[in-house]
Order: sequence, then structure tokens, then C-alpha cells
Amino acid sequence: MLVAYEPGSWESTSEALKQEYFATHHAFEEYADAHGRRFGSASLAGADTATTIRHIDGAVTVADGPFVESVEQVGGYYDVELPDLDSAIAAGRLLPASYTVEIRPAVTIERYEPV
Amino acid sequence: MTVPARMVLETVVQEEWGRLTSLLLAQYRRLDLVEDALGDAVEAAARRWPMDGAPDSPSAWLLTTARRRAVDRLRAESMAQRKARLLVTDAEHLQEGPAAMADPGGLVEDDLLRLVLMCTHPALAPEAASALALRLVLGVSTHDIARLFLVSEATAAARITRAKKKIVTAGIPFAVPAADVIPQRLETVAQTAYLAFTAGYTPGSGPHLLRADLAGEAIRLVRVVVGLCPSAPASVALLALTLLQHSRRDARVGDDGRLVLLADQDRRQWRRDEIDEALTLLASPVLAGSVSPLAASYVVQARIAAEHANAASPEETRWERIAEHYDVLLALFPSPSTRLARAVAVAEASGPEAGLAALDKVEIPGSHRVAAVRAELLSRRGDAGGARAAYGEAIAACRNDLERAYLVERQRALPGLNPP
Repeated sequence: MLVAYEPGSWESTSEALKQEYFATHHAFEEYADAHGRRFGSASLAGADTATTIRHIDGAVTVADGPFVESVEQVGGYYDVELPDLDSAIAAGRLLPASYTVEIRPAVTIERYEPV
Repeated sequence: MTVPARMVLETVVQEEWGRLTSLLLAQYRRLDLVEDALGDAVEAAARRWPMDGAPDSPSAWLLTTARRRAVDRLRAESMAQRKARLLVTDAEHLQEGPAAMADPGGLVEDDLLRLVLMCTHPALAPEAASALALRLVLGVSTHDIARLFLVSEATAAARITRAKKKIVTAGIPFAVPAADVIPQRLETVAQTAYLAFTAGYTPGSGPHLLRADLAGEAIRLVRVVVGLCPSAPASVALLALTLLQHSRRDARVGDDGRLVLLADQDRRQWRRDEIDEALTLLASPVLAGSVSPLAASYVVQARIAAEHANAASPEETRWERIAEHYDVLLALFPSPSTRLARAVAVAEASGPEAGLAALDKVEIPGSHRVAAVRAELLSRRGDAGGARAAYGEAIAACRNDLERAYLVERQRALPGLNPP
């Protein structure tokens, strides 16, 4: 589950609002634990710190910035296992209303073994 | 008297396709397998029934045959060591064992509801959901789905394939959702069905001018939903609306193959039984209380259609009432096309001057309709010059051959254009 939001300053956010955000994430995590499993999650630093690697005409170019330029930026993710899309939607709805949440199935690549 | 086997098959496919599909899906949880197996069974029936006579219980015959085909296919697959992903179902459905066709309880209907909700899941693109619901719930062929949406058969097939892939990969469940989201999901079903219905009335060309027969299939879809959830306001209101619009189908295309405008239609050709059914639905207590904006918009559109249906002649139309209904609709969902329709109603009720005032600042980019209405109203007011210019604007923007021909004709008929 990818989480996107309009970049803003977390540091200057009021303590009360921070607690609200924490509470919604807790609600999400409790839902995921009750209905499935959590594998991992991370909050990402702002998109202004992103570096993008692209292969253009056989050459590797490294560029400043995220791969999609938009008002909203991917700000974090949850790797969870839930029974179906409806439960994933129910879980995703628990996250802060200021987020846009993208749900993507994780896939296993046949014959690939990580080292 | 025996009904010909071919007709028995046609009827059972038309009436039972969704039920058979949903029963098979509950058992095998594989879209491709179920579709192929059911397709095989129908093919076998088309061969065998004319020779052996139709069976006593045609749908049970199809179900048994489809099950046998599914098992054959699964056996062949396990030889090839292929393993396909299964649909996600809800817990109560994971138990093994087929449900009997004769099941008098809720199980069969629940399966059909699962199928409808899966096909119309909001995570699917609306056109894809429409196409998939027609295909899986009603058994409409890909050929007809393509004809309905005015796309190539390859495009229609690709849409359906993509939707099926998304269902399996994203884990859209074959399940009845939580009670708190059901009303919202039923609204999506209604929107999906209405999309298919309006596609049938989008003017095409040649023999595909209107595809009213296929719009009728969308009404069947609405009926399925109303049958499953009789107290869902959006579905009930949509059934009333689509029945009223559909009741005029025979009068909408003239003998010369042209579209006939509402005012010029032979009202004796309107289907009275369908109008009556719609009026009864509109009076239903389900629609009496406060309903969602979507349901309310279907109700008010149905009331507009009902005003036309109840007018014995165009002159007897209660245009003031219709204009009021459009005000309600605008308050719910403001849109330029609704404002345009309201302006027409105002013009009919209070004259071209009022109509032109209502038309002020209405713009529909890329459409000829606003200019066409303005031209008509200017001409009624006696402003031939203004009307000629507005018709010119409409003609330039119009992309439908038949409609353009009509506009050119209207422009030519204006006084003072042709030398005496």
C-alpha cells in the first residue's frame, strides 16, 4: 500500500495533530493485524531528497527528483497481507484523510531467489 | 405442445446465465475455467437438444454438463502442471460442495449478488465493469457488447480480459461486502448498468444508429439487481428511468432510418405497459424517504420522462413542471447539459425569450447542441440572421452525419436566405 500526500512540514505540525496521525496509523495497523499480516513499512523522506535512476538509450542517468512529478508525492508504504481488495480498501480508509492511498498487489516472480 | 429445443436453449441462456456462472464460480473460483466450461455446455446443448429433445430441467442439464467440462479441463491442466490463481471468496463460501440449483434459500441468490458486485467493483474502470457485467451476468456476447459501446470486437474483448485480470490479480473478491459499504456498492452497480443503457442510445451510424435491443439488456441487469435488493433506491429509480426512456424506442427511429425527435414521435408506439410499470415504481415507498443524491437524480430524471409519457400530445406537455424538475436536478448535479435541457423546457413553457435568457453562458465544449438550440430559439423569435449564424456554428461543430443534415435543412428553411 503506497501512501501519498502533499508535502508539508512534519516538524511544524502541532502535537495534537501528530497524535491524530499516530492514532489513524495505529487503527490501520490493528486492522491489518486482525485481518491479515504486516510485513514491513516505512516513512520516506520528502520527494525533494529523491534520486531517480533511469536507463536512457543504453546509458544510466541519475537525476534529482522523484519519478512522477505531481502535487502529491509517495511518502511511505505498508507491506501487508490482507484477504482481498475489499479488506485492503477498508484498511486504507483508516489512514489519514489527507493521504491518497494506492493499493497494489505484491507479486512473486517465478524462479527468482534473493541472495 | 413442445417448444423447439433451440428456443428452450435461448431462453435458459438468457434467464439463467448469471445464476449458472455464479454457481460455477462459487465452486471452481476461476473465471476463465467457468466461462469456457459454460460455453462448452451451451455448445453441447445446441448440438444435442435438437436431436434428443430439450431436457426437463434445461438449466440443471447445463450446470451438470458445465461441471463435467470443468473437471475435464482441470484434469488436463494438472497433467500440464499448470496452476491458476483462484478468486478470493468470503469465509462462509470456502466450504466444498456445490449448491443445488433447486436451492430455495438465499444461497443461489447470494451467489448471483456476489457475481454482480464483483463485476461492478469500483476498482474496475466503468466501461470495463459494464462490459464484464453484461458478459458474465447476462451472457451477452462480446460481439454485441462491442456493438453496444461502438467499439471494435477486439477492443471489447480486451476490456473484458483486462477486467478479469484485474479481478484475479488485485484480489477483487467474489463476496458480499460488509453491510456498511453495500449501499454504496449498489449505487456503483446502478451507475454501471446506466452506462450500458445510455451506450445503447448514443447515436451511431447506419444500422447501428440506435442499439435499443442492447439497451434492453442493460435494463435486464437493473432488473437482476432490483430482484436481489428490492429496497435499494438507486436501482428502483433507475429501473423506472430506463423503462420510461426505453418505452419510446419504436418511435425514435423513422421508416427512413432517421432519428425522430420527441415532439414528432408517434406516441401510440410508446410501450404503455412499460410506462405503467415505471410509474408504479416511481410511486414505490422505497423512494418516498430521503435518498442519496444519485438515487434522487434518477428519480427526478424519471419524473421528467414521466411528464412526457403522460402527455397525450406534445402540446399537452407540462413544461413548467419539467423546468422545475430540471432545477432540482441542477441542484443535485450541476452540468451544462442539464442547464441546456432546462433552457429548452423554459423556452417551451415561457417562450423563446425566456429560453434564450436561460441559455445565457451555457457552454458545452466540442458540442453543437447549445448552438443548435440557440438557433432554433432565435428563429422562433423571428431573428433569421442570428439564427442563420447560430446554425452555421452548430453545423461546423456537429460530427454526426444525420444530425448535421437536419441542421442544414433547418438553416435552409430560414426566411430570406434563398433568392425568390
